[in-house]
Amino acid sequence: MSEVTSPVLEVRNVSKTYAGQVEAVRGVSLTVEKGQLLVLAGASGCGKTSLLKMINRLEEPSGGSIMFGGKDIAGEDAVALRRRIGWVMQGDGLFPHMSVRRNVGLIPVMAGQDAARVELRVREMLDMVRLDPHEFGDRMPGELSGGQRQRVGFARALAGRPELVLMDEPFSALDPITRDALQQDFRDLQGELGFAAVMVTHDMAEALIMADEVAVMRDGRIIQQGAPHTLMSAPADDYVSDLLETPRRQMRAIAELAQ
Amino acid sequence: MSSNLAERWAELPDLLAGHMLLSLAAILVGLSISLPLGILAASRPRLAAVVLNAASVVQTIPGLALLALMVPLLGGMIGYAPAFLALMLYSILPILRNTIVGLQGLDPVVREAARGIGMTPREQLWQVELPLALPVIVAGLRTAVVWVVGAATLATPVGASSLGNYIFAGLQTRNWLSVLFGCLFAAGLAIALDQIIRLLEVAARDRRKGLAVGVGVALSALVVITIAPRYVPAAVFRGAGPVVAVQDGADTLADQTVVVGAKAFTEQYILGSLMQTRLEAAGARVERLDNLGSTIAFDALRTGEIDVYIDYTGTIWATVMNRPEPINRNAMLAEMTGWLYAEHGILALGGLGFENAYGFAMARDRAEALGVDSLADLAAHAERMSVGGDAEVFSRPEWVNTRDRYGLGAMQTRAMDAAFMYGAVRDGQVDMISAYTTDGRIAAFDLLVLADPLAVLPPYDAVILLSPDAAANPALVEALSGLIGAIDSEAMREANRLVDLDRQTPDQAAVWLSDQLSAGAGDNQ
Repeated sequence: MSEVTSPVLEVRNVSKTYAGQVEAVRGVSLTVEKGQLLVLAGASGCGKTSLLKMINRLEEPSGGSIMFGGKDIAGEDAVALRRRIGWVMQGDGLFPHMSVRRNVGLIPVMAGQDAARVELRVREMLDMVRLDPHEFGDRMPGELSGGQRQRVGFARALAGRPELVLMDEPFSALDPITRDALQQDFRDLQGELGFAAVMVTHDMAEALIMADEVAVMRDGRIIQQGAPHTLMSAPADDYVSDLLETPRRQMRAIAELAQ
Repeated sequence: MSSNLAERWAELPDLLAGHMLLSLAAILVGLSISLPLGILAASRPRLAAVVLNAASVVQTIPGLALLALMVPLLGGMIGYAPAFLALMLYSILPILRNTIVGLQGLDPVVREAARGIGMTPREQLWQVELPLALPVIVAGLRTAVVWVVGAATLATPVGASSLGNYIFAGLQTRNWLSVLFGCLFAAGLAIALDQIIRLLEVAARDRRKGLAVGVGVALSALVVITIAPRYVPAAVFRGAGPVVAVQDGADTLADQTVVVGAKAFTEQYILGSLMQTRLEAAGARVERLDNLGSTIAFDALRTGEIDVYIDYTGTIWATVMNRPEPINRNAMLAEMTGWLYAEHGILALGGLGFENAYGFAMARDRAEALGVDSLADLAAHAERMSVGGDAEVFSRPEWVNTRDRYGLGAMQTRAMDAAFMYGAVRDGQVDMISAYTTDGRIAAFDLLVLADPLAVLPPYDAVILLSPDAAANPALVEALSGLIGAIDSEAMREANRLVDLDRQTPDQAAVWLSDQLSAGAGDNQ
């Protein structure tokens, strides 16, 4: 199993300048391998969400290039590209006028699959995110709890068998217990299905717990990138240290309680 | 009253069909313009500002004025086209505004989700944006429906038949049952359409096919029931009109259709009916267009939309020929006849024999108490007096000249519908009114028409006017020439009184008037 495969996602020296404003992203490069979860962490306004949205062309880079599956996405049809990349949003991004079944089935339907196959896929996905298809299939998003809605959001993103999933603060609106359960379930799913994922968060503890690789951003630049333990043991500068201080303090407090 | 009710019922199929055809077409075309425009404008703020401003300007024009403006804009065309165009414009704003507001008000998260999962712009619009904005858009559509169905009653003065015919004719002849009929059916139609749309929205939202089918059937039934009479032989529905045998004409107008116009007051309805009888006796098929606005009737004649109607020398003189100063009665008739023919090819066939002038009238006891019997006596009292008149008189030279020449500038003016002013002066709510001198209520209410020693008020001889085409039709001229010089003021006043006070229909009054004519003709020969 040592054959050399190209990374699923490769971001090369990408920058983004909004008209009449400062540079939001400045010369960022990174790669994400199959089955890997890369977390973009940093304070709000650091450019992490802009970077995420350039990957499925919700926004266009001002410079640099992005390769997905070995091809430059600038040359691909944006709609077709987005259908190959799962998209999970802050909150849930479900369509409030569609049942759970229709929400989850959207991408297979858009891909032109027949009704029987779509239904099969919807059940499979709901099972996978631990929602009973019979109980939840006909419900409207407004009738679900926050955690259930986010599970439906994951089911919808994964229904098209994407090689890459992009997530913008997917857990931020959830209570701590639900968040913890969903974080675990998500990593299990990723292990099972093998897709690569990029997640944006401002919660450093979440980043450390979930990520294979964390990229800390500030003012549009990546100031440190590495595995969680590398960050913990060797923060690149004071800014990274400060960011890590909150989870550290919580960890110490809990450890003291346990003694 | 019961014959009144029966006649109103007999008119219903035709008027309801006219109203429905007009409203429905206006709304459907309005919707097919405003919805796509709203969708385009929702994502283009500058376009949105432009179209919303334009639609708002249209909306601020009063309905009646908007309808009337369409007539000159369409080169004098009257009837369905100008009414449809005005109502269609009227329906645009609420749908347009709500489409733009509904789409712009969507949660940006939902929009981004639609893009992010790979929907094409078309899929975003149809599967996400329109369904979510639907309640707001439908609310706009419902507003438009209620507005248009209501405003369609104003189509009557531009010559399109609608439930407004009940209201306009009823107001002029003080037939309150008729007014009530128009109001109730217009309101009922608006409510029915509004509820049908509401239920369609519920069906669409909840994906209830059964409900959608049921409502669709109800809507189709409503449309078919209201419109069908237009396409079923009219005789099935028409009540029997007055049939007067006039023996002097062979069927020289056989198989020709003659359109008889009339303005919106009693005398015009009676004379329209009288002309209809004469023309039908000569074999013509007659269509009536009642309740035309004053200048609209002339425009319609000029363009041949109507073939014949009655106007008055002083009116043509002031509003069509734009002559500020009146002249002697016979000279005016002669000059007007020459001018109309030279300018427009319109034939003034001749005077009917009576004048329906503007005169200023007071209650006799009030006039006697003040010691007044002439306009020249009023200046001293002007400050404490009010004068009532229809909407148009106060901007006409008749009032302006009377006011200036007799020094009545201090008098307070109160515009009201002509139907109400006679009662208002009798009851002392105003001191003086601009009366029509042939109105039956002058004698009945014991009103005194004040003398005009300075001859400020122009003469108003009633004349038959024929469109250029009609003027070239000898049989038509022949059929109507019997009316020339045949009606004196007394006969006209009595015919008007039969309608305004005795509550007879204009058709009945026309029969009475026709009987007077044949009796008179018999005496003369």
